Amino acid sequence: MIDARTVAVGLELPPLVKGPVTREQLRAYAAASGDPNPMHTDDEFAKAAGYPGVFAHGMLSMGWLGEFLVRAGGDPAAVRKLRTRFVKLTWPGETITCRGRVTKVTDAPDARLVECEVWTENQDGERKVAGAAVLALSRR
Amino acid sequence: MPSKAMIGRTLSTGSAAVDAAHVAAFARALGDEDPRYFDAERGVAPPTYPIAFMVQALAGGASVFEELGLDFVTLVHGEQEFEYARPIRVGETLTLTARIADVYEKQGSSGLMDFVVLETEGTDAAGKTVFLSRNTLISRRRA
Repeated sequence: MIDARTVAVGLELPPLVKGPVTREQLRAYAAASGDPNPMHTDDEFAKAAGYPGVFAHGMLSMGWLGEFLVRAGGDPAAVRKLRTRFVKLTWPGETITCRGRVTKVTDAPDARLVECEVWTENQDGERKVAGAAVLALSRR
Repeated sequence: MPSKAMIGRTLSTGSAAVDAAHVAAFARALGDEDPRYFDAERGVAPPTYPIAFMVQALAGGASVFEELGLDFVTLVHGEQEFEYARPIRVGETLTLTARIADVYEKQGSSGLMDFVVLETEGTDAAGKTVFLSRNTLISRRRA
């Protein structure tokens, strides 16, 4: 968790490692999120569409970034903004690490606002999902 | 295909009852064991939980994409943005309003791509905004 009193530009948020990604996990996420797209659950369907097989939902990666930010901010209420661009596909078998770095710190009346760049990367350091977030940290 | 004339149009409205078991299943699917997502009395939902009810609550799956003029077969979720006033609480019912915030096209390597930006606002029983979602959907134009 980040300390609101000492947070500064350049600070790295504590990384969060997820995975390895499994097909069971993709089926569970498809069911829980109500996503009907067979691209994430049916290998034959994905192959017919020209992919080597199923790949993870972009929103699953964004969900991991959500967990990563809640941990960094200490509370779900700390997360004020999260924006992601789905750059590259995430595949079963990959181990994903959520990372982030503070880019700006400003003070609002009720909190210290911490802007961060955030991303997920696989075991080879290849970026998959990239974006930005704002955490609101209590100054007390 | 999507057209600029669609910008600003309210797509649909709907409501979503935030069910404790559904929130817990969503957190479990993320592999997130934060106990705040498993509390049926005072629990809250993970930040990306709105995705689990937005499409269904607003139009019931694929028909919304048809209405937008997007090709479901080549549809890609390009970007997603959330702004939060506070976490979503277990047991509350949110009112959802979706509007078309932007429509544009870009030349891609495999043809013309249509971009539609869908903005969804979730408000609580008091009429206050809980979250805003901006969803950029991309599909390839068929020749």
